[in-house]
Amino acid sequence: MKGTDFVKLIDTTRCTACRGCQVACKQWNEMPGLRTRNRGSYQNPPDLEWNTWTLVRFQEHENGDGVLQWLFRKDGCMHCTDAGCVKVCPSGALFYTEFGTVGIDRTKCIGCKECLFACPFEVPKYDRATDKVFKCDLCYTRLREGLLPACVKSCPTGALTFGAVDTMLKTAYARVEDLKQDGHPDANVYGDKFVGGTHVLYVLGEKPEIYDSLPQKPAVPLTVIAWKDFLKPLSLLAAGGVVLGSFLHYIIHGPKSPDENGDRDAT
Amino acid sequence: MKKGMIKATDAFERIVHWSLAISCIVLMISGLGMMFHSLNFLAVPVGGLKNLKLIHNFTGLFFIASLFFAVLMWWREAGVFEFPEDAEWIKVAGGYLWHVDSVPEVGKYNPGQKMFFLAVAIFGAAMAVSGLIMWFPLSFGAGLVRFMYFLHALGFVVIFAFFFVHLYLGTIGSPGSLPAMTSGWVTRAWLMKQHPKWLKETEHKGRLVVYGKEPAPKEGQGHHA
Repeated sequence: MKGTDFVKLIDTTRCTACRGCQVACKQWNEMPGLRTRNRGSYQNPPDLEWNTWTLVRFQEHENGDGVLQWLFRKDGCMHCTDAGCVKVCPSGALFYTEFGTVGIDRTKCIGCKECLFACPFEVPKYDRATDKVFKCDLCYTRLREGLLPACVKSCPTGALTFGAVDTMLKTAYARVEDLKQDGHPDANVYGDKFVGGTHVLYVLGEKPEIYDSLPQKPAVPLTVIAWKDFLKPLSLLAAGGVVLGSFLHYIIHGPKSPDENGDRDAT
Repeated sequence: MKKGMIKATDAFERIVHWSLAISCIVLMISGLGMMFHSLNFLAVPVGGLKNLKLIHNFTGLFFIASLFFAVLMWWREAGVFEFPEDAEWIKVAGGYLWHVDSVPEVGKYNPGQKMFFLAVAIFGAAMAVSGLIMWFPLSFGAGLVRFMYFLHALGFVVIFAFFFVHLYLGTIGSPGSLPAMTSGWVTRAWLMKQHPKWLKETEHKGRLVVYGKEPAPKEGQGHHA
């Protein structure tokens, strides 16, 4: 399995919102279920949390023809190829795995929270009690054993599938073609067109802007790029230039020594 | 202490200077250890990056206090440019870079030192504000926090580079300067070279503190330390 990039395909049009994936994720990763409130929605908890790495979002949507739709979208880490979180992580706790996914080694996490602000999908969540950040690692421990991610394994409808990136892209685009001919003219593939391509792909039945909490043009923030790709190397270049310049000054112009006689000499 | 040495700084100035210097160096080293994965090993002596982060954060508080006193103490003398003499000095780069027959006489601080002070004051304050927000990012808006990371990195670029300029000119680049920040006593020859205007004015006012017997006061009243 090693050496190939793998992708989890989420076909939202096949999802029945059974939330089996949410439960399987908690079981495999041994995350507790914390008490929540009934807010009048099956979406529970309301957002991703440190102990909830994947979440089915329930959304009532009325389309142009006055038809009410119930949209389900399984949310979670998108496993970007160009991941903002990996870019900013000072300790290497967030890293690219051999599967192209983004793993997290919590023993290395120092709780700096920089990844929370670098992720275009607002996925990493911070837990105050442990001073650590949590997020989906696409079941890195299972992938290494040749097993499917727990969420994919649990999915009864085929909404979640997993495989090599080329295969999954073909599957996704073929599915979108089928949907278009089957009364979903806005069906599209979401994930392959930004941040270097994500390792979680969506087949969406509607346009991306219809869905709650789904950025249309996710990107690593410009401030992060300026910070990591520009200022970081510049800091070494500038300081190195000063050290070199000082050395050259010393051997060419010479230090500015006082005249021990005390006479004025302007240079 | 040799007779004839002149007191350039008082103890409080030196304490503030070294508080700022030491905290700044600790912050730079611990910051570098977190900024570059290849420098993560700098955290080994303190038992890991998390401890390095804590050291960085709390040293930051010490830095902020030092910076407060530094600005309070120095902004009048080092934070304000005097025209036209400072402009003249800048035109010839103080005689540091090429041969200049006559450099405008410098008072307590030359414009280069003033620029250094302003860089430390302005970017030091930027580091303090951005650092505090980075410490508690969940209490602020995402856009602001993202900009603070950028600002913190920008401040580091400036301060890190200026640090080496200061290190060079405070030691081998300008011999005789270092004692101003160690014992506080400097030679008359060094003052004539670096700060002739301050020397003359202070002497004229009779406020020059000279160690032991005063050698040859040219004008004004002699002052006995």
